[in-house]
Formats: sequence, C-alpha cells, structure tokens
Amino acid sequence: MSRPAASLRRWERGIGLKAYGLLVYFFLYFPLLIVLVFSFSPTKTIVGISGFTLKWYLELFKDQNLLTAFFHTLIIGVGAVGIAIVLGLAGAFFVSRVSFPGKSVFRTLVLLPYILPGILMGISLLVVIKALNIPLSPFTVLLGHVSFTVPVVMFQIMSRIARMGPNYQTAAMDLGANPVQTFWYVTLPMIRTALIGAALLAFTVSFDEIVISYFLTGTWMTLPVFIYGMMRYGLSPKVYAISTIILFLSLALIMLMSRYTGRSAEVYRVRRPRE
Amino acid sequence: MFSPAGGLRPRESFRSERGMMSDENAIELRGVRKAWGDVVAVQAFDVGIRKGEFFSLLGPSGCGKTTTLRMIAGLEEPTEGQILLEGRDVSRVPPYRRNVHTVFQDYALFPHMSVRKNIWFPLKMSGVSLADARQRIDRVLRLVNMEGLERRLPQQLSGGQRQRIALARSLVDEPAALLLDEPLGALDFKLRGAMQKVLKDIQRNVGITFIYVTHDQTEALTMSDRIAVMKSGRVHQVGTPDEIYNRPATAFVASFIGEMNFLHGRTLGAEAGMPQAEVGGQRLRAARSTVTGTPGAGDDVLVCIRTERVQVNSYRATEHEMAGTVRRIVYRGTDYELTCDLEGQEVRAVVSAVDWDPALKVGVSARLGFNGADITFFPREEEKEVVQYATDAV
Amino acid sequence: MGERYSPPRSLLRGIPITIWMLCLVAVPLGYTFLISFFQVEGMQIAAKLTLKNYGLFFTDPMYSRILLKSMLLALAIASLSILAGYPLAYMLSFRVRRGKQALFMLSIIPLWVSYLVRIIAWRTILGNKGVINSALTALGFIKEPLEFLLYNRFAVAVTLTYICIPFVFIPVYTALEKIPRNIMEAASDLGAGELRTLLNVVLPLSLPGLITGFIFAFIIALGDYIIPQQLGGTQGIMFGNLIWSQFGFAFNWPFGAALSFILLAISVTILGLTSRFGSTEGGFLNE
Repeated sequence: MSRPAASLRRWERGIGLKAYGLLVYFFLYFPLLIVLVFSFSPTKTIVGISGFTLKWYLELFKDQNLLTAFFHTLIIGVGAVGIAIVLGLAGAFFVSRVSFPGKSVFRTLVLLPYILPGILMGISLLVVIKALNIPLSPFTVLLGHVSFTVPVVMFQIMSRIARMGPNYQTAAMDLGANPVQTFWYVTLPMIRTALIGAALLAFTVSFDEIVISYFLTGTWMTLPVFIYGMMRYGLSPKVYAISTIILFLSLALIMLMSRYTGRSAEVYRVRRPRE
Repeated sequence: MFSPAGGLRPRESFRSERGMMSDENAIELRGVRKAWGDVVAVQAFDVGIRKGEFFSLLGPSGCGKTTTLRMIAGLEEPTEGQILLEGRDVSRVPPYRRNVHTVFQDYALFPHMSVRKNIWFPLKMSGVSLADARQRIDRVLRLVNMEGLERRLPQQLSGGQRQRIALARSLVDEPAALLLDEPLGALDFKLRGAMQKVLKDIQRNVGITFIYVTHDQTEALTMSDRIAVMKSGRVHQVGTPDEIYNRPATAFVASFIGEMNFLHGRTLGAEAGMPQAEVGGQRLRAARSTVTGTPGAGDDVLVCIRTERVQVNSYRATEHEMAGTVRRIVYRGTDYELTCDLEGQEVRAVVSAVDWDPALKVGVSARLGFNGADITFFPREEEKEVVQYATDAV
Repeated sequence: MGERYSPPRSLLRGIPITIWMLCLVAVPLGYTFLISFFQVEGMQIAAKLTLKNYGLFFTDPMYSRILLKSMLLALAIASLSILAGYPLAYMLSFRVRRGKQALFMLSIIPLWVSYLVRIIAWRTILGNKGVINSALTALGFIKEPLEFLLYNRFAVAVTLTYICIPFVFIPVYTALEKIPRNIMEAASDLGAGELRTLLNVVLPLSLPGLITGFIFAFIIALGDYIIPQQLGGTQGIMFGNLIWSQFGFAFNWPFGAALSFILLAISVTILGLTSRFGSTEGGFLNE
C-alpha cells in the first residue's frame, strides 16, 4: 500500500474512534442538558421551548419541606463525614501499618457497604435496627450513611499512605515524638490533602444517597428521599429545578475535590533517595 | 548532656549514677534474642558497646543486623534479654523515650518541613527553648557543612545533602548513641567513599557512639573500631578489624571478609604444637585452628589461606610449595587474580602486578607457595556457612 | 515486614474500626442471614427456624425466573457499558494529547450528578410526551407516540447503562494509562498494525481493568431496584424489586432476607472474581 494511503487510513480510523467518543459524550450529557432546559421551561413538553422562566426555582425556595429536606441532607452529610474521618483515619493506619491474620478478609468487610447494592445494606441495617427496637430517626439514617462513608475515607487515606513513602511516623518516634505528637506534627500535615479530598468525596456520596436513607428513615426526609417522593407521587417541574441546582452543586464539589486528590495535587511527593 | 529546659516530657536521664561494670558501655545487650513465632531473627547474644566507639554490625541480608539495630532503637522489642542504655534497662521503653536516634537508609526527612524545621524537630519534641534550639541547629549545620541551606525542602536537596541533614537531625540533641542503618546504601560509589570519610570525621569530632549496620565489608573494615559479624541471626565474631580479618573465628567470617581459599584436607597429628593436614598429597602446617578437641588422624578439615598470601612463582622462599595448573587469569589493574587447579581443588591467588611472572599463562604449571603462619584450619561442617559466589550460582 | 511495635499495643489502634465493622457490617449481614431462616406468623416474625424461605425460592419458578432475567439483563447492561466505556477510555488514553485531564473530568462528571436526577432525565426523554417522541412527532416521522420506549426492559437497560458507563470508564482508563507506551512502539516495530496491536497487546494488558469495570457494572445493575421501579413497568421488574416488595406490602421479612442473602452470595462471589482476575486499582476509591 502506498504511504499516503496508509497514513490517510490511519487518520480516518482515528476519526472513527473520535466520532464514536463524541457520540458517547453526547449520550452522557444529553439527559443532563434536558434537565437543565426543562428547569427553565414553563411547560412540561419540549418542542418549541415556549419561553424562559424562573418560576420553578422560585417555587423551590417557597417549598418549606424541600428546604428542610435539603438542610437534613447537609446535617447527615457533615455528621457522617465527621465520623468517617475519625474512624477512617484510625482504620487506614491500622490496616496499612499493622499486620494481623485475616487482613484481606477484614479489608473486604470494611469495603462491603460501599460496593454492595444499597438494597442489601439498607435491609440488613433495617432488620437489625428493628430487632433492637430502635425507632427510625435521623440517628438511624446517620448510621446508614456512616456505613459507607467510612470505607470511602479509609480507602482513600490508605491509598495516600501507600504512596507516602518512607515511614515518617517511625522516624518521628525515633526522634522523640510520642504517638500524639507524631500524629499532629507529622502524619496529619502529610495526609491533609488526601483527607480533605476524601471528606469531599464521602460528602458527595452521602448527599446523593437514596436507597439506604429510604429504608432507614421514618418521616424525617433527606433531599434524595424527598425527590424520590416527588418522583413517585407527582412530577412537578420543580424537580427539574432542584435537579439542576444539585447538578451544579455536584460540579462545584468535584472541581473542589480535584484540587485535593489525584497526582496533580500532590505536593509532598518525595523522590526516592537514589539519585 | 543536656537536660530539657522546662521539658514537657522529660526523657530518662541517662547519666549513669551507679558504678556498674557497664559504666564504660554506652549500650549493652544481654542475652538479647528476637523471634517471631518459630522464626528466630536474632539468636541470644551479649555485647557491650563502649562510649565513643564506632561499632559496626556486618553481615549479608537477613542476618539480623537491622533487627538488632531496631531493638536498640526501640522499634522492636526483644523476645528475651535486656538492652541497657548507659546502664539503664530500656528494653521495654518506647523509642521516643530513649536517648538514641536512628539515621534510616531512606533518610525519612519530613517532606513538609524545611531543613531547619526538620533539624529542629527532636529539640521541639523535648521542649528545648527557641533560643537554645537556634544555637544548636546552627552548630550542627556547621558540623555537617550544610550552612545556608536551611530554608530548602528535602525534595530540593541531592542525595548526599539529604544524608547529611538526616545526620544533623539525629545529632542535634546529643543522643547517647547514633544508630545508622546502611545509610550509604543509596549513594553511588564515589559519593559513598566521600561520605564514609565525612561520617568517620564527624564521629570522631563529636565523640558520639555510632552503631553502624552494613553489608559492605570494606566499609566496616575502614570505618569501625569494632565489628560484629553476623549470619542468619547468629553473631559469629566481635572484634577489631584486624582481629576479624586476620583471626576469623569461623569459616563464615573468613569467607565474608576478604578473599579466602577453602581447601579440603585431612588432619594428621600435630607437629611442634602446630596442627597439620594433608592437602593434595602435601603435608601443611597451620598457625591457627578452630577445630576443637584433639584432631585425630584422618578428620576432614577446611584448610584456609588468604588469596593474597598465596605466592605464585615467587622468588621468596615459602614453607610449603605445591604445583598447580593455571586455569584462569584476570587482570585487575593493580593486581592479577589467578585461579589454579591443585590436585582437583581450586586455589585462587592474588598477585600484585609488581610480583607478576609474565610466563604465567593459562594451562601452564605454576609454583604455589604457602606459609604455615598464614594457614588456618576450620571444622569441615562450617563449609556450608561459607559465603562465596561460584559462577554457576549466578 | 511492616513496622510494628509490640503487637498487643498496636492492635489497640484497630479497635474503633473493628467495632464499626462489626456493628455495621458483620452483625447486620449475619443477622439478615439468620432471619432468612425465620418465618412469618400473622403480622409477627417468629424466631422459628425453617428452610421454607429458601425452599420457596427454589421451588416457585417465578422467583428464580426473575433472578435469571435480572442477571441476564445485568449482563447485557454491563456489556453495553463496556461497549461505550472502553472505546471512550481508549480514545482518551491513546488519541488525545492535550486536555486529557479536562476530558477525564468530563467523563467522570456524570457519575457525580445525582442518581435520581439522571433517572428523571431519562423518564423525560423516553416518555410518551417525552423528548424523543415529541421530536419525532414534530418532525413528522410518527403519528402516535412510541410506546416501547418507556416502562419496559429497554428503558431499564438504557438508563442503567447510562449509570454504569462511568464505573466502567475509570478502571479501564486506569489500566490503559498503565500500559507503557514503548510496548506499543515495540509492537509496531515488530510489524503489528493498529488492530493487531489492540487485540494482542492492549486488550490483554487492560483486561484486569476491563473485568473490574464489567463486574462493577454488573453488580450495580443487578442490585438496583429504583430504576426498574420507575422506568421498568411490569415487564422490567427485577430481582431488587422482588426483595423490596417483601419489605413493603408483602411484609415477609424472612423471605426478603432470604432473597437478600441470595443476592449477597451472588454479589460477593462475583466480587471475589474481581480480586482474582480484575485489577485492584482503578476502583473509584483510589486516586
């Protein structure tokens, strides 16, 4: 085959893949676009977007129940993340640095609430809660959220510890720092970014969580539970408005998160002493 | 030794008040043993390390030298035995309450702290005042020749520089001893040589006890006052470089340091107090023998002689002379390494270029000369401990 | 050999996480397993052990049929997700030079958009008065709205695939990025064309990531019940709905627990496959 033709084919094939990629991106973003558009449209049907209105957004802010639900979601998020930080930090160092039998089983068990379908965790927790005669309340919802925020934080921190390099904690202890001092002056500053990123990630997951929350709440609603209710019992275009707001909130959270996680944000990379 | 000014966590004062026999010793290990279940990392042994001594732990990987060091540092707890620091039993004391510091192989400089902050760290932990600390940091920076670089971050330093900062950090609060775990392992050859001198100078200047772990026998020989040679958890010998080199206690030590020939021989009775063995038809006398009991006739022994002590076609007269066939000649610049076949056994000789006989070629017969003063006998069972690398092992 | 102090002391550090794990994972899952052997009497759950629940599942064909249907559907969804996600990851990894980070974010963002929002979006698109139908009607292609778009397996499949694509993308992309570029050069140096390099080099090397992504998608699809409930109608009912209804109207918690446990067993087994054949990195919990 002559040279120009071969390279042309290569370029064409490149185009083919890129076109396919574009199609996938379109597929991924089209629904989000729809939601956005509908949140500003006065009618429920498309075709001939008959105007632009902020009506639905205004109705949102007048909906007390919705605002309350939003507030609830924030509380649960902050609470679940707070607990997750404490447990996840301790757990991360424990699993990373101490050897004990059955470690891989332990790791899997900890990870389970995050990767299993929500319905399994929701039911399991519900069943135990009922058996202990605990009434469903914000507390039970919090419990449910803590079940998956802890693995998120713990595994993110573990990933950071693994990449941290030499055992700085040991060096600190050797130089005279007791465990508390070591944690405060050495460990914490070094995992700070990973911790923040993990907290943001866990918050995002908690913010959106519906299945477990639904099982474990009585009448105390979080935002997803509220929206779920709207979906089942009557779809007002308000839903599009709140969806759009959540869309941009999530976007903001991810942007924030990308500052703290990932290799690009890594300030404390130490090159191996081998020069 | 300093005492913390208003210290938050006063460390044990290690001025030894009691006039024990261990008064001279900075560190003493008594019956120290470390095992994890069935696996014995360090077999029970005793050793006393004197103040101001440069003491090395030498041996191949996995011999237990690093484990021993960690036990002294407090990073591992001995299964049995005691560790005494300036007369005080610190076996169960955590590392942050022991007055020894470790220089790790990867330095472990805190990446989020500047050089100055790194060095300040131990002082901060023991509550030294800022003014005091500043003085000491400056002093130690001068000591390691790193003034002016205080604001740098560890990532901005070269390997050798990090090495020195790690050293400075461990020295700044004048610990009782400094533990170094193969600190030069990450450096290239030339830099390593230079750093060896630097370390030795600092140790002599400051007068601090160094405990130095290495697998490099040259390093140990050139820098140490005394060396403990270890293999597979067992301390084979503790002695000065001269003792280790010229009077090795076991075949392993003989093989690990320097180049040694190990020939198979059979004992014959002693003559004039010197044991004898028959090798390849010849009767050889030895100045030293570690074989216990009365060697009867016909026991197997290892007959050992250093490669540089084997004379080849030399004008110097030697006690014993045997004929061997040259198998391989390697020219090494300053000397030649000759491998000969001697009645089915391999003998290596190192001949300096000055004494080299140009007539020596592969296949010719060579006149090998030994002196009884250079020969040692070891029990034949120790052969399996010998560390040599045959080409087929590669 | 890791760093350790005397074992008893360092094990203390693990107490909080162990308590958490026991309370929120081991005990609930264990108790669910226990309950699956109880039975319902009247409106109470009686602690009398019985194998009735599992028996019911295995004897009544309806339940196992739904499980099978769900698994097949989940398989299809996972496959579709791979079909969409793998080329996307490949394109991003090998074809894009600048703006990789930005495009990566672009591929990830849908993952962080609310799950419910995405469902609402698809309901809007597929409905009788939805985007597709309205557009086609307005353009004159059809007179009557297409019924088959919503409230059936098709809708469930489309929506779940939509959810799963990012979960496939991440591990596959991570795996592709790990392939040393000089291997590709070596391959073409030895005479392999684009396609052959793909089949013989890239695909095998990225297989662990692919398997991980596939399994994640499968588990997500299998265990979902909201999407079938909202978009599946009667035809699209899946195993998750079955479980859910036991805790709702049917009020047969022991049976629901048994069904849950079956789902658990399947999920755990398949996840076990991930650790054997898949990659442990590229999970979305790593960076």
